[in-house]
Amino acid sequence: MCYASFLMIIKRWGRLLRVLACLFALIGVMALSGCATYSAGFAKVESAAANRDLNGAMKSLDELKLSGPDELLLYLNKATLLSFQGDYAESNKYFEAAKRLMESLSAISVTEQVASVAVNDTMKAYEGLPSEQLMVYSFEALNYLQMDDLDGAAVEARQFDVKQGLIAAKNKGANYLSGAFVRYLNGMVYEAEGDKDDARIELNKALDAYQAQGSNFPIPQALRADLARLSSGKPATSEVVFILHNGLGASVDEANIRVSNPAYNPGQNKNMMMLSLAVPKFVKRSLPVHHVTLSANSSSVTSEVVEDVNGIAEKSFNDRLPAIIARGVARMIAKNVAAKAAKDQVGDNPFFNLVADIATNASERADTRSWSLLPGNIQMARLPLPAGKYDVTARYYGVNRNVVGMHEFKGVEVRSGRKVFVSDYYLNPPAAPKEAN
Amino acid sequence: MLSRKFWLAIVTALAVLILSGCATEVKRIGVEEVTDLSGSWNDTDSRLVSEEMIRDSLSGGWLGRYESASSKVPAVIVGRIRNLSHEHINTRSFVADLERAFINSGRIDVVASKAEREGIREERADMDLNASEDTRKEMGDETGADYMLIGSINSIIDATDSEQVRFYQVDLTLVSLADNRKVWTGQKKLKKEIKEAKFR
Repeated sequence: MCYASFLMIIKRWGRLLRVLACLFALIGVMALSGCATYSAGFAKVESAAANRDLNGAMKSLDELKLSGPDELLLYLNKATLLSFQGDYAESNKYFEAAKRLMESLSAISVTEQVASVAVNDTMKAYEGLPSEQLMVYSFEALNYLQMDDLDGAAVEARQFDVKQGLIAAKNKGANYLSGAFVRYLNGMVYEAEGDKDDARIELNKALDAYQAQGSNFPIPQALRADLARLSSGKPATSEVVFILHNGLGASVDEANIRVSNPAYNPGQNKNMMMLSLAVPKFVKRSLPVHHVTLSANSSSVTSEVVEDVNGIAEKSFNDRLPAIIARGVARMIAKNVAAKAAKDQVGDNPFFNLVADIATNASERADTRSWSLLPGNIQMARLPLPAGKYDVTARYYGVNRNVVGMHEFKGVEVRSGRKVFVSDYYLNPPAAPKEAN
Repeated sequence: MLSRKFWLAIVTALAVLILSGCATEVKRIGVEEVTDLSGSWNDTDSRLVSEEMIRDSLSGGWLGRYESASSKVPAVIVGRIRNLSHEHINTRSFVADLERAFINSGRIDVVASKAEREGIREERADMDLNASEDTRKEMGDETGADYMLIGSINSIIDATDSEQVRFYQVDLTLVSLADNRKVWTGQKKLKKEIKEAKFR
């Protein structure tokens, strides 16, 4: 009886129900898409981290409740904060989780593809830019090096080689994805492991990779010196290798662009002539540190930039922008077709037409997700020292050549012929958190 | 018109699908059951290595030669097993299997490794202060090893976007501490083909 009554209602009130279903779907789409962009929500984490309040940054990160399609961002950012805190083992657990997730996300999800066309790109699981995927290996290797686990770092170096080959094959012509800095670091790891041939090969690849990145990026002098020393068969000197995560990488904001609707029919007033697309916009942030001096006793060296993270991310971003815009146009056409179908069901109702148009545009959000705690660039300073225990000081100089900060590493033990790795971060002066709109 | 049974079946199927994802499921399985999930090094690889190494090391000529030349049981110490592979592999599981097989055979003694010794020496030093004289153990009575077990895990990966071939080679060697002679080498090779899922 119940079922028969249900069918009767469907028959009688079918038109009204279909209209309501359309409305609910549109409201659902608006709710799913959320209001604030990812980058706006993440500003609080960045601000706390910039103030060296890492516990606060961790708390703010947890409050963002990144899960589902944003799960990878939780792993990457948590791993970075843990590394800043010096909890290298825990940091690597998150980097490993990130790698496993990236691996599984390389398979296509039909549901997500449909949702990204129907709603917006944030419906797709974030799998990381290719440049970000490569950086994971260097960060994890650096964690191992700071735990004095050379074998662990060497595993990362070998994994990177396979991954970089796959990414290069998938992104033909993208020379900036050569992983120059990671190879430079890996070369040092191989040499420390006693694999001199592997070290020489890796450092040569690093040199090629730096050259492939473009002529405006200076090749680190210390890399050339390493290669010359290895070729002449001389052993490595004992030294302190300091790595600075300088500033924050680019932020991705949302920009709205208007393009003409290719499916517009002037005879029908229920579809839009212009399409409004929300597209991501790459915003570079200023780098707080121009250079670093690393000193112990009377010895001192100046840092070199070994990775232009911002520059590489920008190239990676620009390469995927045309596909984002194409997908956006397809999405808006699909939304307009759905809105038109709903309007047709209702008839000529100006209020409903307005609601449908608002819902179509309100669900349009740009994908502003990125591994936000990546540095703007990476600097390296290598201080040769005889074996012994040292207090090592890193001084950070700003663009005006004034000291903007410093960090002292107490009791660094340098062993004969070995490298000891230390790192720090210096983020941009904290900006006021953006209000979620 | 679709039948009532059809709709009931659809609703039941949906309910089953939704509810089946709710509870954590734990199923006990035999340790020898092969469960390859990701294609990475796993318990089965470790077991295959330990089985091969135990069989080969206990039947190798080195033990017979030692027994005929000496009335003592040879003492072995585990040295460094280098991980030269593409994965963070825990070598301790198959090394522990090998140690157990050596000890249980009654033909080989295993002495504590460098890391294990530190804790034992600390305990002995503590005994000097706190244990009664008749139960106290003296310093300097440790058994020196005759052989050291060293080795490495190497891997070669050939990968495309959709397929991967992983090759592992585990080499273990017993080196005489008296004269650096390699008296036994064991080797196990494993090869896996992994096809990546195109859809999820």
